Amino acid sequence: MNLAELKVGDVAKVIKLNINNKKTRRHLLDMGLTRGVVVKVKRVAPTLDPVNIELRGYELCVSRKDLKNIEVEKVYL
Amino acid sequence: MKIALVGNQNSGKTTLFNLLTGMNAKVGNWPGVTIEKKEGTIKGTKNKIIDLPGIYSLSPYSKEEEIARKYIFEEVPDVIINIVDATNIERSLYLTTQLMELDTNIIVALNMVDILDSRGIKIDIEKLQKELGVKIVEISALKEIGIDKLIKEIDKDNKKINKKIYDKNIEELIDFINVDSIHKRFVKVKLLEGDKRFKKYNKEIYEKRILKCSEKYDTDLEEIIATERYEFIEKVVKNTFKIDKKKSDISEKLDKIFLNKYLAFPIFAVIMFLVYFLSVGVVGRSSSEMVSSLVDVFSSFVSGFLKDIGTSEVLNSLIVDGIIAGVSSVLGFIFQLIILFICISLLEVTGYMSRIAFLLDKIFRYVGLSGKSLIPFIVGSGCSVPGIMGSRIIENDDEREMTAILTPFIPCSAKLPIIAMFSTYFFKDYSGIVAASFYFLAIFIIIISALILSKFVFVDTSDLYISELPLYKMPSFKYVFKDVFDKVVAFIERAGSIILFCSIVVWFLLSFSPSLSYGVDVENSILACIGKSISWIFYPVLGEDNWALTVSIIQGLVAKEQIISSMSVISGFTNSSGMFSSGSIFSSITPAAAYAFVAFNLFSAPCFGALGALRRELGSTKKVLKVVLFQTIIAWIIAFICYQVGIRIEKSIISVADIVICIIIFSILCFIGIKYFKNKDNKCNSCPFGKTCKQLKK
Repeated sequence: MNLAELKVGDVAKVIKLNINNKKTRRHLLDMGLTRGVVVKVKRVAPTLDPVNIELRGYELCVSRKDLKNIEVEKVYL
Repeated sequence: MKIALVGNQNSGKTTLFNLLTGMNAKVGNWPGVTIEKKEGTIKGTKNKIIDLPGIYSLSPYSKEEEIARKYIFEEVPDVIINIVDATNIERSLYLTTQLMELDTNIIVALNMVDILDSRGIKIDIEKLQKELGVKIVEISALKEIGIDKLIKEIDKDNKKINKKIYDKNIEELIDFINVDSIHKRFVKVKLLEGDKRFKKYNKEIYEKRILKCSEKYDTDLEEIIATERYEFIEKVVKNTFKIDKKKSDISEKLDKIFLNKYLAFPIFAVIMFLVYFLSVGVVGRSSSEMVSSLVDVFSSFVSGFLKDIGTSEVLNSLIVDGIIAGVSSVLGFIFQLIILFICISLLEVTGYMSRIAFLLDKIFRYVGLSGKSLIPFIVGSGCSVPGIMGSRIIENDDEREMTAILTPFIPCSAKLPIIAMFSTYFFKDYSGIVAASFYFLAIFIIIISALILSKFVFVDTSDLYISELPLYKMPSFKYVFKDVFDKVVAFIERAGSIILFCSIVVWFLLSFSPSLSYGVDVENSILACIGKSISWIFYPVLGEDNWALTVSIIQGLVAKEQIISSMSVISGFTNSSGMFSSGSIFSSITPAAAYAFVAFNLFSAPCFGALGALRRELGSTKKVLKVVLFQTIIAWIIAFICYQVGIRIEKSIISVADIVICIIIFSILCFIGIKYFKNKDNKCNSCPFGKTCKQLKK
């Protein structure tokens, strides 16, 4: 399952980043999207892209096509 | 001592910088880029402080981070003040873990301590200091708490302890590697990350060990190091922070309204309308009209005074028509700029600007622009100068420059009289449609130019959109005014001088004949000579060799509304029916030529004011000249197409329906082209080239 497949309100744990572009991957890592981090999908833009996620106590917006390459495991609270 | 201020965006860094320096900061650009550089002296001391760009990391992938790294390695500051947002601790400390690896002493300024209580956060500072191994000072930049203590700490010798934060494998590797450089531990870690900038320190034996080590993790060490940094931070935060069940905060509630599926765009439209209305709409325009009427009074007073004391006519004209007129065109912009900068500053400080990017990103990303590009474009429809200056809200260097270059393409209010006069006279019943067609043409040309620029000139506009959504904040008015003041001063310094200079040059060309006798009619001036010698350029565009139109185009550089006044001076008629009547020099203009003439003026080099603003935003005169060339060539091509098509419609060789169908076909082709390019670049996995793709191989 990837991060783009989650619905608003879903919580998931990051398993792996399958991103080829080094710049994008490093940027996501720098922003705290590392293996094992728990993220929550907060909201989707009215244009359906980008997606607003919450992690490490702050909010981050990432475009859908990058989220597609982030493998996650859904967490049920 | 040399101090560097480092921190995330939205961490309160600029506010802290202003507090530390008072009013004695110098604002400029970093060499080669248009990223703002601020330097100053800490008040009450002799310590120099520099404000490094707001960054999240010291990776080699962004210009801001590169600037920060370069400064740290080449200028070697004595102390780094690392501002950390206490309410966003995990991500903020990530940068700290990288700074900790430098040889330089760092002081962590833990910001926003004033709102910790309200958010249910308690911090054990002593313990945090110990776990990180660096000095920590609690501050609130907004409430001005702890600033004096921070200033005192700078002069103390706070030795930091180098913490080993990675796991055994990585730490062993760090110990094994030896580099001959300053900031040893930092460089070693960069080698593990595979950072190309530090390649010269790499050795084959290191590379082998690094590769072997990364095999243990089934990914490269760049990812492992980032992950372990965050793991270290998680541990530290767990030991030192006590966070009560997060209280639902006001930002959450505001976002439910501002980012609501249905309300977001209407609210945005209202806010944009307000910005437009205040800065370049009724309020902004009347303020600049007031300035120019004041200047008129002043200049007639000066003119009379100079006559009385017996100054020669030439000098009188130089001062009144050259210098004062030039200064007044600068002053005319100032009020609009002040209002716009206040609006932008408020949008930025409150956190709404990040929301605009979030809302519009998808749409603008298609053509390589940022969602924030809409603001300069909207403001630019009033006046290009504040529009161009407004482009600095965009963080990405390339997206910002592209926006600044494209903003003058939006028909500004000074271009409106040209559109109105030509479409009313030449197209009578259809004038409304013709006038509107110029706006559609402008939007179309912006999209095409953006695609061309993002494909061939600005390649760094990768559709990377990863952005923080900061909490909403109450603006500090003190900070807003300081910010606006700095920006206006920078505009006067850099743009004002160029506007003044160019205005004087045009005054000279217009007032003197080639034999340098003063007070000649327009047709005998140097400008007319120039017009006559280059008017052939416009032959394919206007269908005739008309020097007078050429002169008007050149005069339009001073301000676009001057085109019409120049045409009336040359023809001797004040209204359009006289201007284009049979006795006038403009009588031979056909509707096709008229359309082409307007189109050329819309897209060609903007007025000197806009050029000055471009000079300020792009950072170099050379770039501005390139932009002018680009814009003028585009304008010529468009005008050429308009005229050639128009003349054929006039002669009934082709019909309007033919044109409409051609435009539709062309748009569909463009759309397919965009889709194709997008696929080719970004979706490596699903693109038709698959594994044979050249980019993938690289």
